[in-house]
Amino acid sequence: MSPFLNGTLRKALRTNTLALFAALAMGAAFGTAGAQEILTNRSADRERIILDGARKEGRVVIYSAAIVNQALRPLAEAFMKKYPFVKMSFWRGDSEEIIAKLSAEVRAKNLVADLVEGTGVGELAVEATLAVPYFSPMVTAMPEQYRDPRNLWTSTRISYYGIAYNTRLVPPDQVPKTYDDLLDPRWRGKLAWRIGTSSGTPLFLSTIRLARGEEKANAYFRRLVPQKVINFGSGSARTLVDRVIAGEFPIALNIFAHHPLISRAKGAPVNTQLMDPVPSTSGTMIVPRGVRNPHAALLLADFILSKEGQQILANADYFPVRTDTPPNDVLAPVIPSRAGVPELFLNSDQLNQYTESSQKIFDELFR
Amino acid sequence: MTLRSEVRAVTPTAPVLAMIAKMGTISPVVALLAAVLLILIVPPAIFLLNISLHETLPDGSLGAFTLRFYHDLFSGRFFLPSLGNTVIYSLGSAVIAIVIGTVQAVIVERTNTPGRDLAFLAAILSLGVPNVLYTVAWLLLLGRAGPINDLIALFTQNPQAIDVYSMWGMILIEGIGFVPLTFLLMSAVLRSMDASFEEAAIMAGASPLQAFWSITLRMGIPAICALGMLIFVRTFESFEVPALVGLAGNINVLTTTIYQSARRTGVPNYGESGAYSICLILIVTVLLIWQTRLARHAHRYQTITGKGFRPRIVDLGPWRYLTAAVSILIFLFVAVIPALMLVFTSFQPFYDGVRIEAFSRFSLDNYRVLFGPGSFRDSIVNTLVLGTATATIVVPFTALCAWLVVRRVPGASLLDHLVTLPLVFPAIILSVAFLNIFVNMPFALYGTLLSVIIASSVRYLAYGMRYAYAGALQIHPDLEGQAAISGGSRAAVFRRIVVPLLAPTLLNSWLLVFLLSVQAVALPLLLVGPGSEVMAVTLFELWQNGQVTELASMGVLWMLLMTAVSTLFHVMTRRRQLTI
Repeated sequence: MSPFLNGTLRKALRTNTLALFAALAMGAAFGTAGAQEILTNRSADRERIILDGARKEGRVVIYSAAIVNQALRPLAEAFMKKYPFVKMSFWRGDSEEIIAKLSAEVRAKNLVADLVEGTGVGELAVEATLAVPYFSPMVTAMPEQYRDPRNLWTSTRISYYGIAYNTRLVPPDQVPKTYDDLLDPRWRGKLAWRIGTSSGTPLFLSTIRLARGEEKANAYFRRLVPQKVINFGSGSARTLVDRVIAGEFPIALNIFAHHPLISRAKGAPVNTQLMDPVPSTSGTMIVPRGVRNPHAALLLADFILSKEGQQILANADYFPVRTDTPPNDVLAPVIPSRAGVPELFLNSDQLNQYTESSQKIFDELFR
Repeated sequence: MTLRSEVRAVTPTAPVLAMIAKMGTISPVVALLAAVLLILIVPPAIFLLNISLHETLPDGSLGAFTLRFYHDLFSGRFFLPSLGNTVIYSLGSAVIAIVIGTVQAVIVERTNTPGRDLAFLAAILSLGVPNVLYTVAWLLLLGRAGPINDLIALFTQNPQAIDVYSMWGMILIEGIGFVPLTFLLMSAVLRSMDASFEEAAIMAGASPLQAFWSITLRMGIPAICALGMLIFVRTFESFEVPALVGLAGNINVLTTTIYQSARRTGVPNYGESGAYSICLILIVTVLLIWQTRLARHAHRYQTITGKGFRPRIVDLGPWRYLTAAVSILIFLFVAVIPALMLVFTSFQPFYDGVRIEAFSRFSLDNYRVLFGPGSFRDSIVNTLVLGTATATIVVPFTALCAWLVVRRVPGASLLDHLVTLPLVFPAIILSVAFLNIFVNMPFALYGTLLSVIIASSVRYLAYGMRYAYAGALQIHPDLEGQAAISGGSRAAVFRRIVVPLLAPTLLNSWLLVFLLSVQAVALPLLLVGPGSEVMAVTLFELWQNGQVTELASMGVLWMLLMTAVSTLFHVMTRRRQLTI
């Protein structure tokens, strides 16, 4: 090969590569713009458009923190029965794991997930700029406070928090009913809370700070220090409730309020006490940046937020976000509005704003 | 190839071990193995180093360079107390594991104690129980509301006499957890150890105990060192026991201290954890160098020579009932009691201690959940493929590495260091590292079972290596030398002399790697995609979302499955006249 030819060839190759890259970049740009248009479409024929698109896409993948057997599997079965032309598959992980996996996929532009759901997912994904806005007409069926004005996330299920106590170890007349009751010296060394997860200690501290203001909250925390709250380090809120049932800890702070009720229904010596205010958070759902199957993602999002999808979550002992879908009867006693206790809902932005500073307070005072 | 043709095949270029050992260059086999290892281990190692030297941004990418994590690690007010606790905890656990495991191995391999085969059953049973479950079982047993405290309360009126959330609780649980590992390795070593020295000692008038103390134990020193190091490093970076047991008693070790720093914000930050791992790598490197020095006098421990031998069984006379009692006690502690706790809990609607009324609450509900629609059945095949493939990759690979290292083939010590590195990577960081590597591959590896097999092989190389190393150290080069002089190529020497002699160790190693790789959670979790799930992840999900009773029922099922696999393995190897 002559040097000339060699040079020309190289040049041609370079130009072609450049052209190829330009085309790819444009395609990608158009692709995302197109996807974004679809995701936020509010037109009258939205439903037809996403159905047609989903039919072409033929598949959808959700990453979720919901329990597999009771929630994800029934959701997938019902969804595929309704839309047999879309194959739905799921991967289950904790919120932190979901975000780790998702952020690696987004950075590598090798996206598998089309929809991502879980407690804490919304705020983490928004902070990491992994989420793009999307619209689902289903949000009108849920209270205003569970929606995001920027449409970066929608709530899928609500969690209420309270204390769990062992009914053998805590006599009915001594059950702490307010946050101040926890300061009673008789509970010294008998309270436990979860550390290492944002829905554990940071949420407890953030609730007090939001409810009482920084100064009063700080005074409260200093009085809580001598109580030597046990730092429960590994395992979920459910595990902590199991330990209360076993009699290891008489009282656990800031656990999911419905867990003790489920065990109590089976005869376990445990109960929930709601405190004023009852902290609540929501499981959130996002569409990741660079989504591959935007139509199918919307179809699934709509389904999860529909009455049918919410009923499936309710059957799995979650609290639906829709006002027209009540939770299981057993769980009703811990819905703040029914129990007559004020609710303090912490949305993603508040959690983002407060979690880290609450963790700092924990490190300084309780670690 | 017959012996005669082998003899004929002697050529001037036939490799003679001694000659090769004196060559100054790195042997091609070593170079090849090292290249494979470098490809597998360097990327996660670089990731680890990077993550310890850079800020992690909210989107998971790396930001500005910083030494903050190293500074935080050493200057934090928790560092020194945690370090002290970690050393006590690691040493304590290693001592418990090695003492109990060695005693058990000697009883099984060297005495005529009745019922000694139980020990293998115990080891297999307890290796089959994932760490989290095993710890939970012990907490159920020793916890404030557990049967042991109830029993003591009957006599002393003190309802909470033992506090398991303490240093001794951690040491006991972690130490006993390592007994099966110690036992399996020590029994393999003892089995391949020529007993003529012990016989000579006894003929010269030593009691069996003296012979054990001054002969058997001393000959086993390399194996004990290899084990000691393995356990020490593992406990240094262990998390389940420190988190479940230690934190509740306000005892911090380094891993739990780092865990609390990493989880300070929503997006996990692995910087400090990475810095800690890098420090551990340095410590392990020093330990390895020290161990290599020890092995320089390896000839002292080589007992497998050209002579035929049969391990000696000591007739203990009436004393064998005492050793039987000891053996049964270990069996109870290592396998039966934790397993029984799980079985008991799995039949309960909820667990509130071992009480009389609890027996009237027996129900099969937890098993119904387990065998419900869908469930884990899809993941069983994936799990078995993962375990089999990982063990089958790791064992021959490490056998070859270990042999080259022991024979001091030039450059081979590099292999030892490379293979041992992943031992120090925390599983979660290895998982994040491989996630970031695989997801960026130009071909479709991400999310497949193959990707989990690769990561898992890297993770368990160090285990295979420690096993094979301890075994290879005992083989005297005589036999290989003779084979080489007779014209056997190096490959033939390895295949026909070394592997058969190492077989008992390698089989144990295979089973161990299998059992460990199938129960790993943190590693496969981020790597699997929809459809490539493995069972351990399901188990973990129950651990996070389910009730302890459901978790226990899954644990029982898991133990049964692992016992079935191990028994099958046993039967198959017996049929081929290989005993483990």
